[in-house]
Amino acid sequence: MTTIRRPRRTGGPAATVLSWLYALLLAAPLYYLAVSALKTNIEIFTRPFALPTHWLWDNFSTAWRTADLGGALLNSVLISAVAIVLTLALALPAAYALARQDNRLARAITGAFSAGFLIPPFAALIPTVILAIKLDLFYTREFQMLFLPASALPLSVLLLTQFMRTVPPALVESAALDGAGHWRLLISVFIPIAMPGLVSVTILQLLTFWNEYLFSLTITGTAPDVRTVQVALPTLISDATNFGVLTAGTVLTLLPVYVTYAISSRRMQEALTAGAVKG
Amino acid sequence: MSSTSTLARPATARPTRTRPRKRGLHSPHVLWLAVPSLVWFAVFAVGPLAAMFVIATLRWKGLLYEPTYAGTENISKVFADPTFYAAIRNSTVQVAVVIPLMIPLSFMLGYHLNSRPRGYRILSILYFSPGLISISVTGMVFYGVLSPDGGVNGVLRAVGLDTWATAWLADPGTALPTLIAIDLWRGIGWTAVLFAARLASLPADVLEAARIDGAGRLRTMWQIAFPMVKDYVRTLTMLQYLWTLFTSAALILLLTKGGPGTSSTTLSYLVYAKAFAQRDLGYSQVVGVVLLLLGIAGMALIHVLLRSPRENPR
Repeated sequence: MTTIRRPRRTGGPAATVLSWLYALLLAAPLYYLAVSALKTNIEIFTRPFALPTHWLWDNFSTAWRTADLGGALLNSVLISAVAIVLTLALALPAAYALARQDNRLARAITGAFSAGFLIPPFAALIPTVILAIKLDLFYTREFQMLFLPASALPLSVLLLTQFMRTVPPALVESAALDGAGHWRLLISVFIPIAMPGLVSVTILQLLTFWNEYLFSLTITGTAPDVRTVQVALPTLISDATNFGVLTAGTVLTLLPVYVTYAISSRRMQEALTAGAVKG
Repeated sequence: MSSTSTLARPATARPTRTRPRKRGLHSPHVLWLAVPSLVWFAVFAVGPLAAMFVIATLRWKGLLYEPTYAGTENISKVFADPTFYAAIRNSTVQVAVVIPLMIPLSFMLGYHLNSRPRGYRILSILYFSPGLISISVTGMVFYGVLSPDGGVNGVLRAVGLDTWATAWLADPGTALPTLIAIDLWRGIGWTAVLFAARLASLPADVLEAARIDGAGRLRTMWQIAFPMVKDYVRTLTMLQYLWTLFTSAALILLLTKGGPGTSSTTLSYLVYAKAFAQRDLGYSQVVGVVLLLLGIAGMALIHVLLRSPRENPR
């Protein structure tokens, strides 16, 4: 941000107006969410966009208790953590292999992962549920720990491979002359050089795991001891929904993600755009 | 954006150049290291996808029952069901509205964002935020915003448009348009950030030269920048198409449950509802196969429509 290399090519007034209009459309529901979290139903209904007259912090503790968000957050953390470790353990050696070898077989493997990246996991939701039942892992957290890495593998492998391909051949040669095997090469040469890619993949996939909803709902289920926070949150909806409590719960669910974003916004933006720039 | 382009660079580098030098150093055996991830991928992703075709031929009343072979019975059942045609119609409307609006608008916004306008930081943070928000949180936000006494109706009443206020998600006329609007709300800004990141990795002098040559703003955007990132436009169009077509089930489940009636039942939601609510797995997976075929056909169509600049003189 120190030097702007090209001069400002300001878009026309139309572009400026439209871009801010859309920004307003994005911000309005988020603002509505934040102020509603501190209000009663009556106040939400009568003065939807006003600041609360009386700041009702109780909504947060009510949401926390009603949906058992503490336990749910813990489940989410546990599943995401195990899944990311497994993802990296599987993807790093594969990316190393694909970066080092470029014969027909390697290209076929890359092609398979590219195709897998395109097909959304939802396509196979129901057979995946059946697989969980057959493995005797239905309604457990363990299945998600095993399954999420599989859905994350195509993009992780492809991204890491690209970063590992930037390792200079001379470096590989000299390390090989020192007698380094594949594992030594991977750990002391390729991983350090591919570190920016590794960080991006980790952030990107952690966010994906944290936000996963439909598979968690159908496979891990809604039992309070195993459900993730994304599954716990909608349980705050009822015939007589307390919108203040619901929005407070929503804020609590969003908070970990936004805190991370506030701390490392640039890193995160890089990670998420890298995921799609890959294509 | 400058740092984003550093990240994007490995993606555009030509890895082939270093290949011949590396080859002498090792044997093809190194590919064994890719086997664990391939096995994982095969068991948890390819296997279930293939199983879909088998389940489509079974009579299976719910997950806890034993299935029996039913041949093409499910297929004839699906193709005789008006709900299936309603879902085809709704999915078609959804994709036909979302994609042609989202892609050009995102490209223009991304182009604007890449020119670093005033307030660029705030704009990019806001555009980016839907990418951080899970589907379940999105559902809860809009459940509040769109409820009969929620934010949208509050605004309408405040500006004197009381008659426009409606139960957005419970009105057959507005349920699907509302879901489409949420798709656009989420997708445009996020896709714009992606376009901006891609445009930032273009050599700056090309756009600069066009501007100095006197090319107008619109001309530079559509006739110079657009062809240069056309491959990327195609990729993002395919991804957005697939995501719009396949993943609408979660939001629909949270907000409308496909209703009222079948007014917001898409193919994606039908796959979910038939399996879990109506306990007919065979039916569900026939629809799943249809969905997959539509996905592949649509991808092929986008591939042809958005040919890369080399094949397309201009």
